[in-house]
Amino acid sequence: MRYALFLGCKIPYFVPQYEVSTRRVLAELGVELVDLEFNCCGYPFRHLYFSSYLLAAARALALAESQGLDILTPCKCCFGSFKRAQFLFRDKPALQQEVAAELAAEGLTYSGRCQVKHLQSVLYHDVGLEAIKGRVVRPFSKLNAAVMYGCHALRPSRVTGFDNPYAPVIVDRLVEATGAVSVPWEGKLQCCGAPLRGKNDEISLAMIRERLSECRTDGAEVLVVDCPYSQMQSDWAFDLMQPKDSREYVQGTVLYPQLLGLAMDLKPQELALELSTPDLSYLLSFLSDPQAKAAQARR
Amino acid sequence: MFFKLSLYAALLICLLGLAYKVWTWLTTSIGPGSAAYTPGQRIRAALKGMTQAVFSAKLGTILKTLALDGLLQRRSLAVSRLAWSAHMLIYAGFLLLLVLHALGGVLIAAWTEYYPTLNPYLFLRNLAGLMLLAGVALVIYRRIKVPGLRATTRQVDRAAIALLAVIMLSGFWLEAGKALSPHVFDQMVSDWADAGNQAEVQALRSFWSREYGVAFPGQKIPPEDALLAQGRELNEQYCANCHAAPQWAFGSYLLSRAFKPAAAALTSPGLLDVLYYLHFLACWLGLALLPFTKFLHLFTTPLLLMINSVSDRQKMDPANRATVRALELDACMHCAVCSIHCSVAVALRNVPNLTLLPSEKLAALDRTARGGALERGDLEVVREGCYICSSCYRCTRLCTAGINLQDLWFAQKEDLLAQGLGEPYVDLAKAADRAAEASRGQSLLRVRQEGFQHELKLSAQAGTFSECYRCQTCTNVCPVVFQYQWPRQELDLLPHQIMHSLGLGLREEAMGARMVWYCLTCYHCQEACPMGVQVTDVLFELRNLAAGGGSTREDS
Repeated sequence: MRYALFLGCKIPYFVPQYEVSTRRVLAELGVELVDLEFNCCGYPFRHLYFSSYLLAAARALALAESQGLDILTPCKCCFGSFKRAQFLFRDKPALQQEVAAELAAEGLTYSGRCQVKHLQSVLYHDVGLEAIKGRVVRPFSKLNAAVMYGCHALRPSRVTGFDNPYAPVIVDRLVEATGAVSVPWEGKLQCCGAPLRGKNDEISLAMIRERLSECRTDGAEVLVVDCPYSQMQSDWAFDLMQPKDSREYVQGTVLYPQLLGLAMDLKPQELALELSTPDLSYLLSFLSDPQAKAAQARR
Repeated sequence: MFFKLSLYAALLICLLGLAYKVWTWLTTSIGPGSAAYTPGQRIRAALKGMTQAVFSAKLGTILKTLALDGLLQRRSLAVSRLAWSAHMLIYAGFLLLLVLHALGGVLIAAWTEYYPTLNPYLFLRNLAGLMLLAGVALVIYRRIKVPGLRATTRQVDRAAIALLAVIMLSGFWLEAGKALSPHVFDQMVSDWADAGNQAEVQALRSFWSREYGVAFPGQKIPPEDALLAQGRELNEQYCANCHAAPQWAFGSYLLSRAFKPAAAALTSPGLLDVLYYLHFLACWLGLALLPFTKFLHLFTTPLLLMINSVSDRQKMDPANRATVRALELDACMHCAVCSIHCSVAVALRNVPNLTLLPSEKLAALDRTARGGALERGDLEVVREGCYICSSCYRCTRLCTAGINLQDLWFAQKEDLLAQGLGEPYVDLAKAADRAAEASRGQSLLRVRQEGFQHELKLSAQAGTFSECYRCQTCTNVCPVVFQYQWPRQELDLLPHQIMHSLGLGLREEAMGARMVWYCLTCYHCQEACPMGVQVTDVLFELRNLAAGGGSTREDS
């Protein structure tokens, strides 16, 4: 399993813990990552500069293709952006020819060969639940986790093909593989508000606030996200949180590879847990004793 | 006399220019709150900060940074070996020439005897000169070869390269000419050699012609061993004490070999005078222009790197932050590493706005921050470039001068916002809203027979709106609609109404609806539509259409 790692623009600076934990966990699971100097996936251009969007997406795909690699991205918006571009190129060959001509100028070709997968798809489909469970040596016990699926991976499903858009299971299963309980909750398939940040902060913030309080109401002790934008939204909401609100929000937001890494008995520092806000060290108290599972296996 | 006068004039301009630059660092304000500090407050804050840093354990860090990042150019090496090699050659060559050649008579003479015609000076001058020339050649090669660099190359970059090339080439030519020139030989003989008679001069000539290649015109110097031997002896006696063999000036010497066939023309006293003037005047020009060109980075870049090594931009005294931001404008040497690696540079192909590239954005910021009044249209261009940025921080991470570019971009956005130029998306929404205002509240609207199909063709998805039979599923699942108690009032048109408007060709009404601009792009509506209407994508297209980027593309 060898992929070009497409971090996208937000992770390196704004959510570095996502990169650290993703690399660490994937290395542990035998997934090899190759670093290329990618450009932006085009997502930010979709609103106003459609042709720039397509060219940017195609260029990144062509870059991976030139190395004969498929793309793994931990960002659901990059994922959705690539999937849409690929869909459009298939659907409307004239668009593909247009970007192909642009790309040819720098010796790149886009043939559509490069597959784009989100981190969670790779974990679920390529690594597999059994292999993951095999590496989980300190499963969480009695940790109620709320999974947020992320709009741009899930929908439109005929474009993204991530999972069933109304009853997805991939991330639930992955969370359960760590021993945590994936609780049913109101906002599981809902929006984190990120796309309107800076454009309409009122709606944008309302979205993430609803999510953070819904999952608490539905009994979750942690919100599990797997997209830098969701994490940044959560950071924003917690930053603006007044002391009186604190009872309404879930205690913390964790990135999935951090959760998985803890259950694999990796050190919190290896997962850059200290960079997450609010403090996530409370999660450690849910981890079972490493010997317990071994003993269970022996029995 | 002229030499000294012109030098002092250049030096004066340079010093005044430096003083002016320092003044701009204390008066330029970038970012909110920067204007609140007077130059006096900024000086005090800067002195306090510097004193605290220098008289503390931080001094070690500062010196380490100066050595690794300043002298050895570690940051540049990490990004591009080509750029590092070019820069090191120029910079080491320049420093050597400055100390050994330009200031040799002052610096070295203060401490030991200084003869530019003796080794090691003769040899090192040539070595340094060739290093600098090689560096200039690499710089030109890089500017031509590296993709994306040519677009950012400006006249000032070309002028700087040209000036260095003129100084170097005139210097080599002058030295080669002197090596060949019989006039210079005769002059030196009369100045330095106590040659008693014509025979001794002849012997010296014979030796210098044979061994050192001086081109005596029309004079056949017989290769008589006795004469040559006498010349060698006389050379030892009169010349060698303060003139090493010209071969040590290997660059110029090789050039003089190439010049030999046309020696008379290339070494005429008039031409050598011209070269001499050209050489030192070009140097003075560089000196005088130093504060106003990228040559200033000689001082500003190491200064900034040292400041950065011991301070955090976010925690810094805001008065110092204002000063450092202004200093950063002058720390850029326009190597364009930021633009070559920019994540969104690819957009340049369709959005012909160079200010979206970091290096050009910085230049634009320099103009807006220091250049005084700009046309509204220029600011619009700057604003567009400013918002075509994915905040990936790559430019800041890679900047060889250590400029915190991302911090500048945030400050720039705030400053533009203060001038009424905010996020283009928001302004477009407002413009679309104004355009739709006219028809709102009217009971009768002009319906366009041809509908809207022909305008929404970016993705061939948008045409699906005609399938809509207004079941309102899209509206019912929309989280934005759900936010409002009276969504129709707050959003102008609801998703299903927008789809219906399109069929009626109500262009402005649809584009101006706040629903279009408040869309979260969560795709719930599109996923749920029983008729396969690509609702979210239609809204994407409407925004592109309002931005003017969507309607030009031909349908396939």
